[in-house]
Amino acid sequence: MLSIQQVTKKIEDKSLLDNVSFDVPKGSSIGLIGPNGAGKSTLMKLISAYEKPTGGSITFHGQDVQHWNVKKLAQRIAVLTQEGLAAYPIKVFDAILLGRYPHLGFFQRESKKDYELVEEVLAFTSLTDLKDQFLDTLSGGERQRVAIAKAMVQQPELLLLDEPTTFLDIGHQLNILRLVKEWQRKDNLTVIMVMHDLNLASQFCEELILMSEGKVVRSGSNEEIIDSDLLKNVYHTTPEIIRHPKSNVPQILLGHF
Amino acid sequence: MKHPTSTHSFGKVAFWSILLSILLLIVMSLSITLGAASIDFIVVWKVVLSKIPIVQNWVSVDWKESTETIIWDIRLPRVILGALVGAALSLAGAIYQGVLRNPLADPFILGVSSGASFGAALVMAFGWQIAWLGKFTLPFVAFLAGLASLMIVYYLATVERKMRVETLILSGVVIQAFLGACLSLIMALSNEQLQTIVFWMMGSLTLTDWSYTQVVFPVISIAVVIAYFFSRDLNMLGLGEEAAHHSGVSVQRSRIIMLVLASLITGAAVSVSGAIGFVGLVIPHIIRLIFGADYRMIIPLSVIGGAIFLVGADAFARTVMQPRELPLGIITAFLGAPFFAYLLRRARRGYF
Repeated sequence: MLSIQQVTKKIEDKSLLDNVSFDVPKGSSIGLIGPNGAGKSTLMKLISAYEKPTGGSITFHGQDVQHWNVKKLAQRIAVLTQEGLAAYPIKVFDAILLGRYPHLGFFQRESKKDYELVEEVLAFTSLTDLKDQFLDTLSGGERQRVAIAKAMVQQPELLLLDEPTTFLDIGHQLNILRLVKEWQRKDNLTVIMVMHDLNLASQFCEELILMSEGKVVRSGSNEEIIDSDLLKNVYHTTPEIIRHPKSNVPQILLGHF
Repeated sequence: MKHPTSTHSFGKVAFWSILLSILLLIVMSLSITLGAASIDFIVVWKVVLSKIPIVQNWVSVDWKESTETIIWDIRLPRVILGALVGAALSLAGAIYQGVLRNPLADPFILGVSSGASFGAALVMAFGWQIAWLGKFTLPFVAFLAGLASLMIVYYLATVERKMRVETLILSGVVIQAFLGACLSLIMALSNEQLQTIVFWMMGSLTLTDWSYTQVVFPVISIAVVIAYFFSRDLNMLGLGEEAAHHSGVSVQRSRIIMLVLASLITGAAVSVSGAIGFVGLVIPHIIRLIFGADYRMIIPLSVIGGAIFLVGADAFARTVMQPRELPLGIITAFLGAPFFAYLLRRARRGYF
């Protein structure tokens, strides 16, 4: 569905991405991990065609994303960034309704179906009680849930998450990821996610891609990537690897002082 | 049928638009009654109705011809032009604030009015007259000079075909400063025309008859309709540039269309009335504080609100120190600033 081929990105002489290639099959959940400056967020911006690559190509359904019409692309790809939505004083309901934008013609008004979809998504994301609140009165976690709801009414087949839980406490982090997981099961959604938290990434994603200095170091299952030696080379710290007592996926503990 | 799940309904916009429109009509007719010759409220309406085909058959003429002249030829065109200019400046301010995501943005931020003022000052200082334009020489030159300065600002702010908002605002400041200096130079060198220039710059609706209205009305009406269709895009930009892109908004394109539109109507307004400040800054903010930041509300209500405000301010300017007429820009600031300050203190939330 999505194919990334020999993508490079340079700003002046600085190389942000260097010859990155991988394929994303439909329905998969892929986690991009790696230290600061590895090029994860840059790659996300290229996939969503917000920025242009210096070399290589990213094709979505056989066509370069740069050649996709912005609106058509938004019908199929939705993005959630760590900033999410600005604290702009419009009502939660109306903010979510704006997610229908790519499906509406310029002169077209939202129909009954659009309103019903928003109601449905409000219920799914437990936002029904907040729908008449203004966005700027919500907490960070609530606003990020609104951003997910807005992405949901966009009805994409691919969801890009760029560190969606960075500014949230642990409770809200899990809450957001659970929502995405449920949504993924419901609609066979494809998810690419940039995550700093390796433990959450290991639990959430089927495949992890470890990046460093603009290159893919290695990709594989969490068993292969959450590896003490591999992570040590990239992060320059030696984590202890243990098993999660309930799900048995590999988890890390940071070193001691 | 009103849909039960919608928090925003077309009905709400319609309700407030109609209510404010009625208020506008009342303020306009009151403004016409005021002046050296005081005229009865009812007579104003009778005269206006007697000009409308079919309806005129029901109106019996029971007023003096001089009254009709005062209402129809002197005060009405002025009041209508005032409403149009107020609507235009307020709409332009609402658009600039949304697109530039800057609460300090007003219709003059990108140098349109500085350019127009400079052009107008040149015409006044040198007494230019272009034969085939006649009395339209001044607004025409002002409009062109406004557009020219806008183009310079866009040119300065565009790097690799992308326009950055911060650079745009800075370019506007630079051009405003430079043209301000040019304007001061002209004023320093022109002795007899100094007062005319100063008065024009402070804004006034004195130079009006129906012909100006006929030119400005279509421009502003079309702009209002176009802007309304862009309200969804403006809301999107409010949620953040990147978020807007990811939801399918062609950010650069929507932005440039909106800025050019706002600049055109600012140019049209300034060229006939001078640079009347404060309307474009304060009215959209007031609407936003009361109704929230949804542009589907802001656009229609700013348009009508701006019209009400400027017609009211002009009535003040004409009558408060009769027979002297005060510059309109002074009144708009006198009335607008305290009210705005009150609202700011009362408002519970920030909004940018």
